[in-house]
Amino acid sequence: MSGVEVLRAAGAGAALAARRAQVQTLRRHVLTYAGLAPFILIAVFPVYWMAITAFKTDADLVNPTVFPFWFHQPPTWQHFTYLFQHTYYSDWIANSILIGAVVSVITLLTAVPAGYALARLGLPGAENLGIGIFMGYLIPPILLFLPLSKIVGITGLIDTKWALVLVYPTFAVPYCTWLMSGFFKTIPPEIEEAAMVDGCGRLGALVRTVLPVSWAGILTSVIFAFTLSMQDFLYSLVFVSVSDQKPVPLGVATDLIRGDVYFWGSLMAGALLVGVPVAILYSFFLDRFIAGITSAAVK
Amino acid sequence: MADVELVTGSRLYAGRGAFTRQRYLVGYALLTPAVLYMGALVGAPFFFSLYLSLSDASVGNQVARYVGLQNFFAIFQDSTFRMALRNTVQFTVIAGIFKGLLGTLLAFLLMQEVRGKKLVRALVVIPWTLPVAISALAWKWMFDSQFSAINWVGVHLHLISGWPIWLGEPGLAMASVIIVNVWRGFPFGAIVLLAAFSAVPLELVDAGKVDGANFWQRYTRIVVPIIAPILFVGLLFDTVFTLGDLSIVYILTQGGPLGATEILPTRALEIGIQAGALGRGAAISLILFPILVPVVYFLLRILRRREAL
Repeated sequence: MSGVEVLRAAGAGAALAARRAQVQTLRRHVLTYAGLAPFILIAVFPVYWMAITAFKTDADLVNPTVFPFWFHQPPTWQHFTYLFQHTYYSDWIANSILIGAVVSVITLLTAVPAGYALARLGLPGAENLGIGIFMGYLIPPILLFLPLSKIVGITGLIDTKWALVLVYPTFAVPYCTWLMSGFFKTIPPEIEEAAMVDGCGRLGALVRTVLPVSWAGILTSVIFAFTLSMQDFLYSLVFVSVSDQKPVPLGVATDLIRGDVYFWGSLMAGALLVGVPVAILYSFFLDRFIAGITSAAVK
Repeated sequence: MADVELVTGSRLYAGRGAFTRQRYLVGYALLTPAVLYMGALVGAPFFFSLYLSLSDASVGNQVARYVGLQNFFAIFQDSTFRMALRNTVQFTVIAGIFKGLLGTLLAFLLMQEVRGKKLVRALVVIPWTLPVAISALAWKWMFDSQFSAINWVGVHLHLISGWPIWLGEPGLAMASVIIVNVWRGFPFGAIVLLAAFSAVPLELVDAGKVDGANFWQRYTRIVVPIIAPILFVGLLFDTVFTLGDLSIVYILTQGGPLGATEILPTRALEIGIQAGALGRGAAISLILFPILVPVVYFLLRILRRREAL
């Protein structure tokens, strides 16, 4: 074998190996996509069905003879205009935003200091207190809604959105305390020590040095206070039965049905309009959410 | 010389003591709002619910009498309650198994390095991120007795014969609420597992390879012990969410037909709020407690152990 032949053979071998690697990558892609396709279809289909229902005319919706997954009459905005002109939908949106905002404020005012104290100050019994607060997240609302209905009744907030402002922090506070405590542990203590050496008190150091670098954790807490509020159904169902005080999920689920008749077009329009933004917002922060509830198990 | 050192040393010590005391004071002050809030709106109601369950409190009746365990005896006499208890266990276990299987499969698929992975992930988590009441409504429309999208597909692909009334027949209604719960929960399982796998340090796996461990050994001895606690935490969280959730059943079937999908949360709502028997309703919710206690116990044990590390 001459040197040239050896080289040529080696070159051919390398090309063959590269081809084989390419084929392998291709095969892996095809198999993975084939496996993922049914999951994507199943996950997305209900949203597609909501969307197409929201934009179909009523006549198109109830025509059993045609392919239901596409339009047979031009798309329409009628269900959306109906929602805003003939129902309390705009009130529900305003209520949900107001509830989310106030719940976020209450959550931040309680969870940020608590998270800081648990993470930083080496308090005796801090661990048990932290777990005690977190327990709040593990006691499902179904165990609490009856006694809470009495307590909310005493406050006189029943049948107003303020009842929900009062109770929603019970799922946001434990979660956000846990999250903020994890977050504060990642900030080097030196920066506040430096501030304290420069004459700040502990609280001054917290406000001036720790909070400014914690905005990511604070933003995450706000997003969760909002989305956890939107995920509730039970408390709103039990505490609020007046139409113009309801948050969106309850309003859509209970007020858009007249007698036994479901108005699917406007129901799905109402569900879509709020569900999709909430889902998108939540999915951006999903990794943090999962990390938050499993973080203790990861460390 | 030695004296001087002793003095400064003790002074330093005293100073540090005051400093520590002040730090503790600030610390407990910072914790107070959260502890008070949770105490007033979770702790107190919980004990109040224990009290309610032992009384004949009702919505109209201001003065409640202590009745001992009467409510608990009464609810076990109620055949709908017994059905609800059985359904709750069945619902949680069956849905849990499917969520575990589908979640694991999805996690392995999502671990593959393929193009467009981020988009795929964003799409498959939709069921988990949509507000549950809203997705339950979408499913109610898909299970509609006349215009069911599921039936349309099934019939045209010749997968089902006839036109099943999903929410109108007992067995199918139970299957429907399980399907919706599984649909909502499987992405959570997958994402938790993914997080667990990303926590496995690759050096450990490589070290195992160098030491001659085969694939199975590397998997069972290195990977599983690391991901098991995380998986378990995910499973426990999901169980807590599923046991306490009433919105899917409430929106799809209201517990019907004939109590076939009645679960403890819906029964507690019917008795406690709609019928106004607070005491008996509280007793029904509290039946969930013994089921929850072991779940929460294991969860806290894992969290605490990890916290200590």
